[in-house]
Parts: sequence; C-alpha cells; structure tokens
Amino acid sequence: MLKVIDSAVPVACWSCSIGHNDFTLFCPHCSKIQPPPGGDYFSVFGLEPRLNLDLAALEHEFHRLSRKLHPDRFARAQENEREWSLADTALLNDAYRTLKEPLRRTEYLLKLLGAEIGSDAGTEQGGHDKKDLSRVPADLLEEVFELNMQLEEMRMARKLGETDPELQVSLERAKRKFDVLLSEVDQDLRSQWQVWDEGDAAVRKTAQKLMVALLDRRRYLSNLVRDVTETLGA
Amino acid sequence: MAYSDKVIDHYNNPRNVGQLDKASTEVGTGLVGAPECGDVMRLQIRVNSETQVIEEAKFKTFGCGSAIASSSLATEWIKGRTVEDALAIKNTDIVKELSLPPVKIHCSVLAEDAIRAAIGDWKKKNSVAETANAAAVAH
Ligand code: FES
Ligand SMILES: [Zn+2]
Repeated sequence: MLKVIDSAVPVACWSCSIGHNDFTLFCPHCSKIQPPPGGDYFSVFGLEPRLNLDLAALEHEFHRLSRKLHPDRFARAQENEREWSLADTALLNDAYRTLKEPLRRTEYLLKLLGAEIGSDAGTEQGGHDKKDLSRVPADLLEEVFELNMQLEEMRMARKLGETDPELQVSLERAKRKFDVLLSEVDQDLRSQWQVWDEGDAAVRKTAQKLMVALLDRRRYLSNLVRDVTETLGA
Repeated sequence: MAYSDKVIDHYNNPRNVGQLDKASTEVGTGLVGAPECGDVMRLQIRVNSETQVIEEAKFKTFGCGSAIASSSLATEWIKGRTVEDALAIKNTDIVKELSLPPVKIHCSVLAEDAIRAAIGDWKKKNSVAETANAAAVAH
C-alpha cells in the first residue's frame, strides 16, 4: 500500500457504473462498498498527506467508517462485498493505528516519500554506498557507547551484589540529560511537521531530510533512555 | 525469531570482545551505529605498520544477537589479513556465513561499516592515502 502521493485513478463503480476515484471505500453515488482502495493511509480517511492531524476528528472518522464496514452488515451481501468489507476493515485498522501515533505517522509519510529509514534501508548489495554514515553525529555515538559501558558495569556490579553509588549518580545524571535531548528532538520534529504541512515542494524536501535525521537520532536516544530506566529501576 | 546455530555460537561465545588502546598509533578504532534500530558497535584493529597485517582485532557491541555475531565473526575474519584484504569483506559474506534473515541484514552492514571505519581511522593516523595505499608495500 505504499504507492501514494500520486493522484486518484478514476474507476467505474461495479454496481451503478458511475465513475468515481479509486481512493474511496464507498461509491459516492450508490453508496455500495468498493474494492479495496488504491490510495495511501491518509486517503482512507479522505485526507491529504499531512503531519499535523486533528486526532479527535481522525478517531471520529475511524469509528464512523468501522461501523459502515462492519462485516455483520455484509452478512447477507454478495460474496465479494463480504470479502471487501473484511479487507477494508483490516486496511482501516492499519491506517488508523499508523496515523494516530505521531512517530509512526511521520515514519510512514517519509517512507511514502521514498526516504530510507527502517530495517530495509541501505541493505542490498554493498550497503554503505547508499547510506550516509554521517547522519548521526559522531559525538552522539560516542556518548551512547560510553553510557552503554556504564550500564553494563552497573549490571555487573548488581549481579555481584555490590552497589556503586557514584555510578548510580552518574547514570541518573545521564538519564536526565538524555530525557532532555529526547524531548528536544520531539520538539524539533513537531516544528518540522508544521514546516512540511505548509511548505512548497522545495521546503518539504528540506524538512523531510531533517526529519529523517531527527528520527535516526531519536532511535539511539530512546534506546538509551529505555535501558537506563530499566537498569536504574531494577 | 529463530537464529542460526552459527549466530547462537558467536552470541554465546563471542570472539575477541574487548578494547585496544585507542591512543596508540598502531590502533584504528571504528565506532558505528545502525540508525534503523539505534544499536552501536565499536571495532578496533592493531596493524603492523611494516606488513600492514591486522594482528589483533577487538570489538564491543551493544545490540542484537545478529550484530554481536556479525562483529565477532568480522574480528575473526580480519585477523591475519592485510588492511586491503580486510576491506574486501562485504556484509553479504557475513549474511551468508551466519544465514541472517532479511530483517537482520542491517546488522551485518553495521559490521562492515565498523571494519571500514576502523581501517579508515588507522589510515588517517598513519597518513596512508585513501586510494593509492598498499602499493608501496606490495612492491
Ligand atoms: S537489530 Fe539493529 S543491529 Fe541488529
Ligand atoms: Zn455506485
């Protein structure tokens, strides 16, 4: 389902034969359910791709469509209508789960736009030619590595039944620092949403690059915060 | 997820875990991260400047089992090779040897990146030109 941001294709309704676009779940003329739509997750909700979403409206629309698509309503319908209601329901659920969560929504949109993120980035062939190694600054890697070393030390000491108050204090300090860094990244992401939503093509391109870099950075930070929290809380 | 026996072996008995003196001119250090998952890996080599042979290799990886196995295997492979030979190692070789599934390919990429970064660091320290390197030694 990652084909987007091109425009809808006109199709004829299977039931009433009147033309409509292939993004819609239901025919705008005869209201009959249509084969699974060809657009992206945004278009499932009748939205243009964007990053700032009205979540209350999204949820409302999700419930409305869920009710309309509910398989019970198609119990006596034709076989293909029944199948479409199941397929559309699955699609609607995926779309809602992705769009309601800000990070998943951002990653999804960037993927639609062809950014290399996630587990299939830069993996075929030699790999590294496609990947820009400098995406995450070296000093952040350095810090991440150091903190991981300290965490390991802490866990070892624990195992031996020792406590190391100095290490504890330094980890707590690190946690506070990385919490702050994480919320800064989130703030930066948020402001790029705005930039992207309102920008023209060139502005959007720049915002996309920035967001990819921010998400990369965020993954290191959130791993760390998770591990530190776990270790401190143990 | 099911790991291959080789991954499990390297994971349970990682080879060459440790650290070399970062400040030494003979030592090259590569510190790399996988933005896909936020895992980090440090790989270090000690190179004989006469022969350009990697005499020692150490790693430390904070990451998944496949990343640990990939870096463990990488240190085994590069030990005893010349710097140039070590650069010929491709992540796909690691994928094959460890039978990594597609979602774990980036873990092997991390190991290849780490080898390159370590060698790059050593070259920089010893002002070996990035391109016309080993030639002087080979002839
Ligand atoms: S999952 Fe990212 S290095 Fe293995
Ligand atoms: Zn119709």
